[in-house]
Amino acid sequence: MAKKRKFKKGVLPKLLILLIGFLIIIFLIICLLKKISTPKYKEYTKSLNYMDTVIDIKLYTTNEKQANTALEEIEKIYKHYHELTDRYNAYDGINNIYTINTTQEVKKLEIERDLYNILDYGINWYYKSNGLLDINVGNLTNLWKQYRDNNNGIPSNDELFKISGLDIKNIVLYDDNQILTGNVNIDLGALAKGYATEVVHHYLNSIGLDNYLINAGGTVLAGKNIDSQKFKVGIQDPDNSASILKDGNKDLTLKVSNKVITSSGGYERFYEYDGVRYHHIIDPNTKMPANNMKSVSVITDNAMLGDALSTTLFLMSIETGQEFVKQFDGVEVIWYSNDNEIIKTPGISKYE
Amino acid sequence: MNKNDIKLIIIILIIAIMILIVIAISDNNKNTKKALIYYDNNLIKTIDLNVEETQEYTVEGYNGEVKIIVENGKIKVDEENSPLHLCSKQGFIEKNYESIVCLPNKIIIKITSDSQEQYDTIIR
Repeated sequence: MAKKRKFKKGVLPKLLILLIGFLIIIFLIICLLKKISTPKYKEYTKSLNYMDTVIDIKLYTTNEKQANTALEEIEKIYKHYHELTDRYNAYDGINNIYTINTTQEVKKLEIERDLYNILDYGINWYYKSNGLLDINVGNLTNLWKQYRDNNNGIPSNDELFKISGLDIKNIVLYDDNQILTGNVNIDLGALAKGYATEVVHHYLNSIGLDNYLINAGGTVLAGKNIDSQKFKVGIQDPDNSASILKDGNKDLTLKVSNKVITSSGGYERFYEYDGVRYHHIIDPNTKMPANNMKSVSVITDNAMLGDALSTTLFLMSIETGQEFVKQFDGVEVIWYSNDNEIIKTPGISKYE
Repeated sequence: MNKNDIKLIIIILIIAIMILIVIAISDNNKNTKKALIYYDNNLIKTIDLNVEETQEYTVEGYNGEVKIIVENGKIKVDEENSPLHLCSKQGFIEKNYESIVCLPNKIIIKITSDSQEQYDTIIR
């Protein structure tokens, strides 16, 4: 009864009630239409295992056929570069790094254009990095790998410095499709993942697929996210694989869109001897695992550049690296020092 | 205000509620459920569990291949090589934070609903 009286007493004119009612309905209908008209993005994922790493692919698209074709094509690209750069296995019908390294005879060996291009890129980076990023260090890699696999001891100075063939000038390329064998032992570990990922990047651009997130170990290729949000990428703590690197109290997270993040650190493939950690990124000057920092992460537009750059920075002191990166436009860097200090280029704040 | 006015208000309210329900339902299928597979504490694979048809995956465990089957929102280990076969005997799991642990194979499978995940990916 009380309710009824309240209505009777109310001063709201009927018209106003009607108007508010219709406004609510119109508002809700607009919401509904907006919902229906926004296409539904679906996530298409695939995990691959190539180049000694797990490659996680996430594509977001409204077009299932496009997604499945793209996933297949991306796998083909990674598989192709995996086979070309594999140091331990031969594959039917192609001359790869294994073929090159194991051909004792001094002769011109025919190679695919794709392999030629990575080798050419690697040689250029040798000079760009003042000899720090060296692809002709396969003999050195092998020696360290032997000790790592046996998990016992480290190579002596004698062993390390008597290794022969460690000269970038021994890699000679001809006519866009040939390499001189017999005096080289190539290791493309520092470049292959980034190179293949950049080929994937080009492929995705060419088919107009804009929304993707690919994580190939130390290389993350981030396209556009489906909402207006950016992709949130956490950087792993080199000392504890279960947690994220801390910057003060908060986790170190990079928010990116259409960027590439690459990381290099001594925590991926390592073994311990006498309480010291020996990892797989070897300084060609000391012939020992680099010990300038715990890790370094780089934001770039190009995975090829990013991968080469993060390895190069890992092989330099942080101070030298801070100067070195100034020649690259739009590149931002986070160093994690041996004293657990986080050092950033000023532009990193754009991504925090 | 007479009876007709009240009827009108009720009709308006019903229409509004119906539209709200439609919006709520169309939002519902956003729920993505995933299985995370770890080998030796490292995440090696993420599997989307929202699949119509049955899918098979194999991952490399410590004692060889581990065969995994995914079926509308559920996941199980089908075959593995271990003394007691505990994890293939466990059968399907489907709830958030349920897990299958294959100690001899160093394989762990976890389910997460990623609507509240803090990161899109972690760089190592």
